[in-house]
Amino acid sequence: MTATAMPRPAAAILVIEDEPSVSAFVRAALERRGYRVVQASSGAAGLQQLEAGSFAGVISDIRMPGNINGADVHEWIRKNRPQMANRIILISGDTANSETQHLLASSQTPCLEKPFRVQKLISMVEKTFGKP
Amino acid sequence: MRERKSVSARRPAAASGRKTPGRPKHDYSKELMELVVEAANSRVLPEFLRGFAERTAEMLDAEWAGVGEIVGSRVEIYTRRPEYPANEKEREWLAQGLRQRRPGLEVLPLKRTGQHIAFYPIYASDGELMGTLCMVRKAAGFSRAEEKLLAALASHAALSMEKVRRFSQLERSKKQWVEDIDAISDYIAVHDQAWKIVRTNRSLATELGIPPAALVGEPISSLRHIAETGSALPCPFCRDTREAREEYIATSAGRTFLVSTSRTRGANEEESRTIHVLKDITDRREAERRYRELFDSIQEGLFFATPEGQFLDVNDALVRMLGYESAEELLRADVSAHLYPTPAAKARLVNAIAERGALRNYEETLRKKDGGLLHTMQNISAVRDALGHVVQIRGLMLDVTEQKMFQSQLQRERDFNQKILNTTQSMILVLDTAGLISYANRRCYEAGYRRDELIGHRLVEWVESSHQKDFESALQTTAHGQQVDNLELRARRADGSLGHFSISLSPMRDEANQVNNVVVVMTDITDAALLQAKLAHAEKMATIGRLVSGVAHEVNNPLAAILGFTDLLLENPEIPSAAREDLQIILQETQRTKEIVQDLLSFARQRPTQKEPVNVNAVLRQTIKLRSYDFSSHGVEVSEEFEANLSPTLGDAQQLQQVFLNILNNAYDAIQESGNHGRIRIRTRRAEDDIEVAFMDNGTGVVDPERIFDPFFTTKQAGKGTGLGLSICYGIVRAHGGEVLCWNNEGESGSTFVVRLPAATETSLAAAVKEAGR
Repeated sequence: MTATAMPRPAAAILVIEDEPSVSAFVRAALERRGYRVVQASSGAAGLQQLEAGSFAGVISDIRMPGNINGADVHEWIRKNRPQMANRIILISGDTANSETQHLLASSQTPCLEKPFRVQKLISMVEKTFGKP
Repeated sequence: MRERKSVSARRPAAASGRKTPGRPKHDYSKELMELVVEAANSRVLPEFLRGFAERTAEMLDAEWAGVGEIVGSRVEIYTRRPEYPANEKEREWLAQGLRQRRPGLEVLPLKRTGQHIAFYPIYASDGELMGTLCMVRKAAGFSRAEEKLLAALASHAALSMEKVRRFSQLERSKKQWVEDIDAISDYIAVHDQAWKIVRTNRSLATELGIPPAALVGEPISSLRHIAETGSALPCPFCRDTREAREEYIATSAGRTFLVSTSRTRGANEEESRTIHVLKDITDRREAERRYRELFDSIQEGLFFATPEGQFLDVNDALVRMLGYESAEELLRADVSAHLYPTPAAKARLVNAIAERGALRNYEETLRKKDGGLLHTMQNISAVRDALGHVVQIRGLMLDVTEQKMFQSQLQRERDFNQKILNTTQSMILVLDTAGLISYANRRCYEAGYRRDELIGHRLVEWVESSHQKDFESALQTTAHGQQVDNLELRARRADGSLGHFSISLSPMRDEANQVNNVVVVMTDITDAALLQAKLAHAEKMATIGRLVSGVAHEVNNPLAAILGFTDLLLENPEIPSAAREDLQIILQETQRTKEIVQDLLSFARQRPTQKEPVNVNAVLRQTIKLRSYDFSSHGVEVSEEFEANLSPTLGDAQQLQQVFLNILNNAYDAIQESGNHGRIRIRTRRAEDDIEVAFMDNGTGVVDPERIFDPFFTTKQAGKGTGLGLSICYGIVRAHGGEVLCWNNEGESGSTFVVRLPAATETSLAAAVKEAGR
């Protein structure tokens, strides 16, 4: 077996979510399907990960505590990692929020509304980031 | 005349019977001279005339002679020979003859004795018949010489009689003069160069308690105690002896005299006289002093002025009033021009006085010395001369500047208050303590009330019957002196509709501090009350919205984990089927919770998801169609009253359909519950800037219309609904910028829901198109 024969470990999916239970569920669902997952518990932590390495895609909650929310993450990627701009899935707990609605409508970014089913998560991830 | 017989006077003189022996034949010239001397020395007329008659008899050889003096209507006969006339009859005849005017000698025979009587008139220099010379002789004729003599004697008699008459007249008038002088109440004292009293009048002597004659020869200085002028001269009344006339005031204890002095210069020193007349003017001086004191101390301005308005005399008050230093300054000629702000004002005053003579309460504005204006009120009267010309004006002047200012301030305040009363948007009424309206401001009439239905009526009549008690007790409270603020009650408007009024009542007190009126301020707050209720409701709903939004969001996280892990568990093939069934239940309930949260979020939603023109009538028709089967199968009649060509609204047709459906479902449920023959009227119309959709049903009505839109407020049986349906409607309509209202129908069953949505304008349409294009 050569090193090249070894399948190159696929790039991980960065999950930015402040709610541990939601983050844990998303991670479990994705890993069971063979995805690698890197977790970040805030927008700021997420941006650090993004600067340090490359990812297959980013799943980010919109409303998070701290200075940086999902919309800011989305904006950062669009500017600094333009190749990643269509590899973002947003999670929303509050679609009634007008800012959220505006972001979703203007960017055509796919969005999961909490609470969401596992099937819906996987199909959106496969569609957006591809299979593992 | 019975014995009269004309006899020629030219008969030659015959020798007279009676002759004086030893005496030469008459030397008429000498005898006449003697007569003249006698006459000159004679002072007493009767004696002279008797002597004269006697001499005449002697000179003309008459048996009898006499002189008749005419004194008024009588004739006085003077003679020294009493034998004639012999009796009263003769006397009377003689008297008549003596009184008769005749040009010259007349001789008449005397029948009884055969003698003749001759009359010769005595005329005064002015032609008056003073008397008649008369004699009785034997001879009838008079020689020429005798006649001449008679003429001479007559003229002598005339001269003497005139002289004596004049003299006695003089005597009489002198006596009269003394009496006149004595009658004068003023004191008169005359003294000579040697300061001796020559004469005083009776008043002075009486004052001193002695007869006037007793003072003559006394030194004039003895009168010093009466009064004196204070000069060093021996006479207490003389001041300057070189002056021919002097006049001054002399005083003594308690008395004041006006002393008028005249000096006469005689031919020599001894004959010079000084006459003092002392007039007691004590009373007059006192009156004058009092008058002057009053004149100067009175607070009102007093003045005397020429008819042209030039001041002649003014009192201190007037000087002060006009701001001058002294009366002298004010009396200066040039002041008058300064005094009147316009020459016309002065002319008006002068003309008014000339015309009317007196002016009462004449108002005039004068200019003070410093230029400031003085408002005066004057009472002026004119003094006229005999010809009726105004010679002086006199007046009293009051300073009414303060009153004037007070008056104008009062006027200003009154105007100001009137303006407030007239322009305020509140109705202001004044009631007496019995509640009868005595005043209503303009606003009341602008609001449509008529004067005759307000004034004199009880205000309580306008108050809705259920509130009349409240109003009456408030009126009582105010009548007892307490203010009542913001009493809210319903009252009838002028058009008969009921309005919501805020009423404040304030007591108004009279001088005795007794409440005699009540001021009522009424404000129609119907609109404000509605607005306030809406605002309060909107505020409540917004608060609930924020709460719900927060809760929903927080619930979504755990819900997401529950749902997610449940899914993951169900993926696990090792899970036993029993557990799998349980998990399915968890899944279902989680889904249900999710829906509730979604509904809550819909209620709290701030903006519609879509913003496009929506035809409300079309959405309504679709919505009705969705339910038409149920309606027709349950006999619910739906009537559509849609306004044609209704403007679109901007929003989300799906959401609006949800709203209409919810309301229709609610109506349907209420009808089902009531068991009535169901009827739902749906009406659309343009209402100002809004599109109004009204749903009127005849169901059970709403228990609490105020709370019907609150989340989880439901009157339906458990399990029939979450109680969020109408809350969602509320949220959606609010998100569309509209409002939804609910009330129970008045007088009939059922309730009405009204949805108002803003009609799209050209501007809002353009903005929506731009938004959609982003």
